[in-house]
Amino acid sequence: MRDFAKSLIAVEEKAHRASRTRPLAGFYVCEKLRPPLATLMGNAGFHALMSRALLLAQGEVPWLKSVRVNADGSFEGLAELDRQLGPQEIAEGRIVLLAQLLGLLVAFIGEDLTMRLTLEIWPSLVFEHTDLSRRPK
Amino acid sequence: MKKRAKKVQRNAQLKALRRPPNVTIHKLPTGVPGLDEILGGGISEFSFNIIAGTPGCGKTTMAQQVAFSNGTPKKPALYFTVLGEPVLKMLRYQQQFSFFDESKVGKAVRFVNLSELALDQSLNAVLEEIVRQVTTANAGVVVIDSFRTLAPKASSYVDAVEVQSFIHRLAQFLTSWEATAFLVGEYVEEEIRDNPLFTMVDGIFWLSQVSERNSVVRKLQVIKLRGQASVPGLHTMRIGAHGVEAFSRTLGLVATKTKPSNRKQMSTGIAELDKMLGGGIIEGDSVLVTGPSGTGKSALATQFIAEGLRRGEPGIRAIFEERPDGYTQRAGSFGLNLKAAEQKGMLETLYLRPLDLSVDETMQAILDAIKRVKAKRLVIDSLVGFEMALAPGYRADFRESLYRMIGALTGAGITIMSTVEVEDSFTSLQFSHYAISFLTDDIIRLRYVEIDGQLRKTLVVIKMRGGNHSKDIREYVITDKGVVVIHPRRTDYHGLSTGIPTRTGPRRAQEEETAPEPKATR
Repeated sequence: MRDFAKSLIAVEEKAHRASRTRPLAGFYVCEKLRPPLATLMGNAGFHALMSRALLLAQGEVPWLKSVRVNADGSFEGLAELDRQLGPQEIAEGRIVLLAQLLGLLVAFIGEDLTMRLTLEIWPSLVFEHTDLSRRPK
Repeated sequence: MKKRAKKVQRNAQLKALRRPPNVTIHKLPTGVPGLDEILGGGISEFSFNIIAGTPGCGKTTMAQQVAFSNGTPKKPALYFTVLGEPVLKMLRYQQQFSFFDESKVGKAVRFVNLSELALDQSLNAVLEEIVRQVTTANAGVVVIDSFRTLAPKASSYVDAVEVQSFIHRLAQFLTSWEATAFLVGEYVEEEIRDNPLFTMVDGIFWLSQVSERNSVVRKLQVIKLRGQASVPGLHTMRIGAHGVEAFSRTLGLVATKTKPSNRKQMSTGIAELDKMLGGGIIEGDSVLVTGPSGTGKSALATQFIAEGLRRGEPGIRAIFEERPDGYTQRAGSFGLNLKAAEQKGMLETLYLRPLDLSVDETMQAILDAIKRVKAKRLVIDSLVGFEMALAPGYRADFRESLYRMIGALTGAGITIMSTVEVEDSFTSLQFSHYAISFLTDDIIRLRYVEIDGQLRKTLVVIKMRGGNHSKDIREYVITDKGVVVIHPRRTDYHGLSTGIPTRTGPRRAQEEETAPEPKATR
């Protein structure tokens, strides 16, 4: 799941070269997932799912405890962290959070459907040896 | 002159009535096995329908079958969810059904959640969003699930007007936009009378489930369907691996042909019995073989099927008691190789024993098998087992459904042999527990008879509609050849049909019979 999350972040970084200077923009992936998932399950549904993913990710990356999920599923508290954390820490946080979100989706709706939803957002994405069956710890 | 003018006018009126309709209403497949047949070909394009019923009836599953069956990337099915089952859960569960094609999700079938709009804003806002989504996607099918939570029963006059206005505008828009719509909701039957929604819609699909003893019986009723004739009544339905499956109570047999006038006679595989039947069973007849346990009903039915196979006539065995292996083994002990016929696709064995079957789905399974192998002969062994395999709630329909199926199949030229177990009373000759002799053209009665200190077996052809038959009571045995009719009519006994005959002639010297009835080896 981590690899899958990493590859999504890599694609998004490529599309937003400017984000290299602002590592927190890497949360773009979650932001991009938000509209189609909110259409599917409503803002409240997406908020609940993202909150759960955040809670699970906080176990691995403690600084994510400073991040909050708004009612519409967007993040709050990232701007402050941008100034306090190093690029490596932020990179790890976003990978873990995204991996947890994808893990939840796979647990609920299965690999195929998760992959399809993802491919709709990133149609040119090519996954190699992606095993989505293992959820992050 | 006046009379003539009247006649001309009447002819013109009749001609107008006979002409084809000006508008052709295309029908969409529902994706629900059996439902299109009930609806007379499918659901009318651009119709506005409601799928209603109590929780757990299969409403959402049915709506999704329609969506997956009709949605295309160009004309997608939009599935609006409102305050019902969370979408992630719905997708999770619906994926278990074979109709769910994940490659269609997002393109041909799109899910849109309207819960927040419904909670936070007005029905107008909800309608605007539906209009926006349908317009943008160019949707061909629209499902709103649950419509009940979106437009609940109004508590005041103002609410009622708002809800009615919403439904009216929604229906107008979806029709104008050439979308076929399905509103899914939990309603109770009393609401049909009071809720104006039921007046506005073109089609009402009512799903229900009732439990009787330990089984649950699911039913589907098409209460209303504008512009087309559907099969009336309550139809059995089941939720299985393929989603909802419906079984028309007419089993799709209404249009079957009638029996041909020149029908051939079919051998039973027992030469002496054929003679008793005046040359064999008449093609397209329904034969009832009745007798107590152990008299060889199944053996006779096996010989009937095997004889057909020998003559190149495919067959179906629908068995409800013994296991298929037992049947095939027994047939093997009679020298009949049924396995080879099964492998060639000439014979199919349906082993239908689950205790919650509905009569219609069982009959549908038989009909499907008949179509598959192009069967000419059908054995139902036994009717008692068939009835026992049904859920208690379905048993009341047994005779009616059996009547429809037998009538239609024999009408199509299929010859049916059914077995039924009866107890020998030793006082009278009972044919069957059921008053089903009206179902059968021919009845062959097997029974035990006490003769010369032995319990022997006799058979007699009781009835043969459309043919002359022997009136003889004949003795038979079951050997390694199967049922074999041995003795000619015995005139030295009176009262054979009672099972305890009395001798009328002189007692003959007793023959030594070491093995009067060698049992078939297993």
